Amino acid sequence: MTWFTFTWQNFLFSFLALAFEGLPFVLVGSLISGAIAAFVPSKMITGILPKNGVLATLASGLLGLCFPVCECGIVPVVRRLMNKGLPVSCGVTFMLASPIVNPIVALSTFAAFRGQSPWLNMGTRLVLGYLVAVVAGLAVRQLKPECILRTGAVKLPARKRLAFSISPLPDAAMNGFESTFSQKLVGAIRMACDDFIDTAIYFMIGAAVAATFNTAVDQQIILPLALEPTLSTISMMAIALILTLCSTSDAFIAATFVSFPIFARMAFMVFGPMFDLKLFFLYSVLFKKRFVIGLGIGLFVLIGLICSRFLIYVYAGQGL
Amino acid sequence: MRARVFNFVNGITLIGVGAVLLDFFFTGRLDQYLHPQFRYWTLLAGVIFCVAGVVYAAGKTTSQCCIDGECVHQSANSPVRSLVAFLVLFVPLAAGVALSKDSYDQHAVLNRGFVQDITKLPSRSGSLPAPTPNDQVIPPQALGADMDERASEPLPQDTPSSPPDPNAVAKGGTGQANPAVPSSDDNGSQYLPKAADGNVALEVTDLLYAEAEDSLRKMFTDKTIEVIGQYLPGSDAKQFKLVRMFIVCCAADARPLAVPVEVSGPMTATEMGWVKVVGKPIFTQQGDRAHVVLKADKVESTDPPAEAMLY
Repeated sequence: MTWFTFTWQNFLFSFLALAFEGLPFVLVGSLISGAIAAFVPSKMITGILPKNGVLATLASGLLGLCFPVCECGIVPVVRRLMNKGLPVSCGVTFMLASPIVNPIVALSTFAAFRGQSPWLNMGTRLVLGYLVAVVAGLAVRQLKPECILRTGAVKLPARKRLAFSISPLPDAAMNGFESTFSQKLVGAIRMACDDFIDTAIYFMIGAAVAATFNTAVDQQIILPLALEPTLSTISMMAIALILTLCSTSDAFIAATFVSFPIFARMAFMVFGPMFDLKLFFLYSVLFKKRFVIGLGIGLFVLIGLICSRFLIYVYAGQGL
Repeated sequence: MRARVFNFVNGITLIGVGAVLLDFFFTGRLDQYLHPQFRYWTLLAGVIFCVAGVVYAAGKTTSQCCIDGECVHQSANSPVRSLVAFLVLFVPLAAGVALSKDSYDQHAVLNRGFVQDITKLPSRSGSLPAPTPNDQVIPPQALGADMDERASEPLPQDTPSSPPDPNAVAKGGTGQANPAVPSSDDNGSQYLPKAADGNVALEVTDLLYAEAEDSLRKMFTDKTIEVIGQYLPGSDAKQFKLVRMFIVCCAADARPLAVPVEVSGPMTATEMGWVKVVGKPIFTQQGDRAHVVLKADKVESTDPPAEAMLY
């Protein structure tokens, strides 16, 4: 048997399964985005965050606790929040942290690791996800937004906002829409539809790539790598990149990779919700390709190092 | 006028996506793709797509689509965007309605590799009680009860809310707290689900579970059982694998479970076609693990079960 065997039957089955599972969540994210655009004033967005940029970045990593959005739906929400005045560093932190640091993922991780130190694994995942997202957000603070954001993806007209300080946009006049509730509602639906179209195109491309890897590539070729700490961590992150699982359920998959050490599976659970094949295309809605690639490589290296060089000793100390 | 046309195309795209989701849901095909907990999300999304598509297509066209006058959509009124959306969002889904066979072929199964230890699968790990020498409690999941409630009801002692029978000792005289719990002699075989022809009806998962659970091995040994699964040819004509797919969320994460089957003579079946195997399970100890082989007396083609996937 060769390492690559493509058939349309397998591709269609896997592709449709990903689409049926993911599209409702992209829709939810788009609806939230439309509602934010129509009903939430810019001052409210910026008002809930500390004025200090670093503190705001730290706080953004926790927004998912009260605002749980999975990775499929996060991009339109972040784009809308940025357009309402959320600094780019906070947006990136929220985008990376929210699929992990939220109550649904906490519960699913706990459930998936029943009998395998559930409290430790759930806590480690949330803390590590938060820390990595904050580090990425703080790194983004050092970059100019025009180097990061795709042209036209977010309007950042004010010089002050370009410098990442917290200041809301003035709410613009309703453009072609009256301000009654029903007309705002119609406007929210129309904007949600446009957000959905923008995002779902990339989601479908990502799902197609993932379905090809999922079904055509012999996944046994990765398993011999499980024996060495660094290689096992890299392998698990590579599997997460290819499988493009939803963060609400990927812990159940990670728990089954029992031949891999727990720190490698943790790398899978932290890296996967932050970056995979589908997210590569989704992030491209908002960010320049060069930044997306750099973000992916940075996350891969950072999470890989933390898990294979630090977490390995934490788990060893716990006898795992 | 042109903006109006492409507004309409976007609306049609959304309605089309919604229609495909609803079609898969109401025809039952969605059951092959998603875990039950996700199916109603798909139904809800299908309805919302249709409603939103109508609102979008019927809405008035403005120079900018966004309500706050700061449109962030790439080329919102571009014909290219509308056509790409139609081609990328709707066409593949519509093609799936016509072309998808709603299952994997053997290449996907072989590429994924078989699950080696079923007790590590989600929903099964942690549900298995610690084995004890006199343990007679059959995990409901081990008998496919999570698939079909009629297949295996949990024994009364599994139900904490059931008050203990104060006369149990006096009636039974065996010291057991609950007379419904089978004695150590009968191996609880009366609780095994039966097929119409009297054979014990098991799932592939039950046999794999028995590899890790001594009480189940005792219960299944020497019983004539029948198991339904998909046929995957073996290295020679006298053996094959009986396969079921286990999913956590959707078919994209499906992992194959398989029981090796030995037949006495050559047989014919289509690759990944559904077959019913009647025979006896043989458990052999290899190191610290037991392994099961199903010695088949009869193998025949059958219809797929209502739920082709296991959860």
